[in-house]
Amino acid sequence: MSLPTARALRRHRSGTAPRRRPIAYLYLAPALLAYTAFVALPWLHTIWLSLFTWDGVTLGTWAGLGNYRQVLSDPTMLAALEHALGFVLFFALLPVAVGLLLAAVTGGRGGRRYRVARTVLFLPQVVPLVAVGVVWRWMYAQDGTVNQALRAVGLGSLTRAWLGDFTWAYVAVGAVGTWVMTGLCLVVFQAGIQKIDTSLYEAARLDGAGPVQEFRAVTLPGLRAEIRVALTVTVIAALAGFDVVYVTTGGGPGNSTVVPGVLIYRLAFTDGQVGAACALAVALSTLICLVVLAISRLTREKP
Amino acid sequence: MRRAARRCVTFAVCVAAAATPLSACSALVPGAGSQLAPAPSGPVSTAVPAGSVTLTVSSSENSGTTRALAAAFEKLHPNVTIDYRYTAAGDYNTSLNLTLSSADAPDLALLNMIGTTVRANLVRDLDPYVAAYGWDRACPSTELDQWRASNDGRQLGSGHLWAAPAGFSLVGVYYDKALAAKLGITAPTTFADFQADLAKAKAAGAVPIQLGNLQGHASFVFQSIADSVDGAARSTAWAYGVPHATIASPGGTKGAEDLADWAKQGFLPAGANGTDLPGSVAAFAKGQGLFLFDGSWDGALIDKAMPSKAGFFALPGATASAPVTGIGTSVAYAIPTRARHPDLAAAFLNFMGSARAAQIEFSTGFMPLAHADAVIAPPGSVLADIATAWAKVNRGNGLVPFFNNTTATMADTLTSAGQELIGGRSSAAQYVAALQADWQKGHR
Repeated sequence: MSLPTARALRRHRSGTAPRRRPIAYLYLAPALLAYTAFVALPWLHTIWLSLFTWDGVTLGTWAGLGNYRQVLSDPTMLAALEHALGFVLFFALLPVAVGLLLAAVTGGRGGRRYRVARTVLFLPQVVPLVAVGVVWRWMYAQDGTVNQALRAVGLGSLTRAWLGDFTWAYVAVGAVGTWVMTGLCLVVFQAGIQKIDTSLYEAARLDGAGPVQEFRAVTLPGLRAEIRVALTVTVIAALAGFDVVYVTTGGGPGNSTVVPGVLIYRLAFTDGQVGAACALAVALSTLICLVVLAISRLTREKP
Repeated sequence: MRRAARRCVTFAVCVAAAATPLSACSALVPGAGSQLAPAPSGPVSTAVPAGSVTLTVSSSENSGTTRALAAAFEKLHPNVTIDYRYTAAGDYNTSLNLTLSSADAPDLALLNMIGTTVRANLVRDLDPYVAAYGWDRACPSTELDQWRASNDGRQLGSGHLWAAPAGFSLVGVYYDKALAAKLGITAPTTFADFQADLAKAKAAGAVPIQLGNLQGHASFVFQSIADSVDGAARSTAWAYGVPHATIASPGGTKGAEDLADWAKQGFLPAGANGTDLPGSVAAFAKGQGLFLFDGSWDGALIDKAMPSKAGFFALPGATASAPVTGIGTSVAYAIPTRARHPDLAAAFLNFMGSARAAQIEFSTGFMPLAHADAVIAPPGSVLADIATAWAKVNRGNGLVPFFNNTTATMADTLTSAGQELIGGRSSAAQYVAALQADWQKGHR
C-alpha cells in the first residue's frame, strides 16, 4: 500500500518535477478511510465529548472548558501525573539501559548465540498485560514466590505483602514494567546491532579500543534510531499505562500508585463523568505528544 | 516556525468558532436521539399468558440461581420458554444501558445498582405489580426498599420500586470452630465478648481476624461495627443518601477507631493491604485466622475447604438481646421499558418469592427473599449457620445495604481510605471525614 507513495516521495525529494498525481490519493484511500474511521474520528469525538457534562446516558449539557478546569485542579490528578512521570524510569530508562547492556553482550557477531535467553526475555511482551498483572499479584502476595525466594536466601525479615506496602508498592509495580519492557528493548537493539557495519568494530579494535570504548564509540551511535524508537514506545507505555496498575494495586494502597489511566477509567466507568474522563484523556494525550516530540528532537541525527 | 504558530492559532479560532453554533445544534449533544419516554402506566395483569411465549432474561449472575429458577418456572408453565442471556459482570454493567435502550431489549434485566437506569427511563415502575401480587406483605420492607428510588434515581430507599430481588447475600463473621475450641472460645453473643476473643486469640499466637484489604474489604469490618452500634435504620439512611445523614456518628466513629486500634494491636494480619479477598479466604481455610468478615457467597467454598469446621454469625450488639444487623444486598431484576412481555416478567418475579424458589435460591448460594425459615441446609455445614443468621437479621429488620454502593465512587474511597487507616497513614477521624466528603459529593 505504501510503496507507490514512498516512491513518489523519493522522486519529489530528489528534485524531479514535483507533479501532482491524483492517482496517489486513490492508493491512499483505503488506509486513509480506515484511519479516519477508527482513529481520527473517535479522537475528535473524544475532544467533542470533553466539552460536555455527560453521564453517558441522559442528555449532556455544554460545559466548555469546565471539565479541563475540574480535572487539572484535582489534587489526586497531580499525584497521578507525578507517578506516571516516575514510571518513565521503570518503563523506559531502565529497560533501555538494561536492553543496551544485554544487546552489547549477546549481540554483535552473528547473533545466533543466546537465542533461548533472548526468547525468554521477550516472552513478557507476548503475554497480555492483564495476565502479567494477575501473575505478579500472586508473586508479590504474602505467601507468593517473591517472599518465598527471600526466605530461601535467609532474607525472611524483608518479606511483606509488597503491593500493600505504602513504601514498596510503587517500586513493585515499576519493577513489573521493567520486566515487561526490557525484552522489547533487547530485541530492537539486537536487530539494530546486526546492521552496524562490522568494519567499524574492526577499525575500533585496530585502534586499540576495549569493549567499553567499542560500545561507546560504535554501538551507541549506531543504535541512535533504535534507541529513539524504544524510548518512544516505552515512554508512551509509562505515561498512558493502565492495565498493570489497575490489575495489581488498582492505584492503592491509598493513592500511592494511582496513574492518570486509572483515574480516566474511574471517571468514565465508575463515576459516570464521561465528559471529565474525556477531558483528562485529551490532556494526557497532549502531554504524551509533547514528550514524544521532545524525544525525537533530542535523539535526532545531526546533519 | 512562525507560520506554523499562526496556522495553529487560526485552527484553534476556527474550532472555537465552529463549536459554538454546533453546541446549539441539539442533534450533536451527547445522548441525543436515544432518549426514551417512561412506560405508560396502565392496568396490569397477574395471569400468565396462554400459548407458546418466550421470556428473555439478561443477566450477569453465574451461580446458576436464575437458570434453576427459570427451569422450575418453565416446569410450572409448560407454554413458557425462558431465554437466558448471560454476560460476564464487567461487560454486563458497561453495556447495560445500551441493552436496555435497544429495540431488542429483554423482558427482564438484572440490575447491580439503580445507577442511571431510572433517570433515563430505561426500566418500569413495578409498584402496580407490588399492589397486584402483594409483594410488600410477603417480603421484609428492608429487602424491597433497596430497590426503591425517587424518579430521578438519585435518592434511594424510598419512592417507586424499580427492581425485584432474586436472592440476597449477607455479610457476617465466619469463625474457625477447631481453632476456637483450642482457645476455649464459643460463638460470641455480645460485642464485648467478641473483643475479648480477639485478645485471647492474639495472646495464644493466633491471627484474631483474617483480612484481605487489597480491594478494600476492611469496609466489611467497619460497616458491621457501624451498623451494630447505630442500628439498621440510621445506617441505612446514610447508605441511601437521605439528606443530612452523616457517618460521623457514634457507630461510624467507633467502627473506624476499632479498625485502627485492631490494626495497631496486631489483630489483623500484617499483609492485609496486599492480600485480596480470595487470598484471605484461602488463608482462613488453612487455619490462619479465628474470624473472617465475609459474605454468604463464600459459604459453599469455605464449607468445602474446611467441612464442618467453620461457623457463621451476625456480629452481635452491645447485649445478647439487642437486634442484630447484617450487611446485605440482592441480585435484582428490572422490567425494561421496552420489554415485550411485562406481565409475564412480573409473574416470574413473583415466582422468585415463593417457597419453592426459596430452596433453589439457598441451594445455589443466595439467601431467599421470603420463607427463610423453611429452607433446608446440609446439617453441620456452615450454610446452616448462615441461614440461621439470615433469619435472625430479618426478624429484627436489620438488613443494611452495602456502604460501597452509597455513591458511585464510595467503593474506591472505602478502599484507599481503609488502606491508609490500616497502614497507620491516617487517623480514624480522617477516615470518617473522607467517607463523608465522598457522600457529600455524591448526594449533592
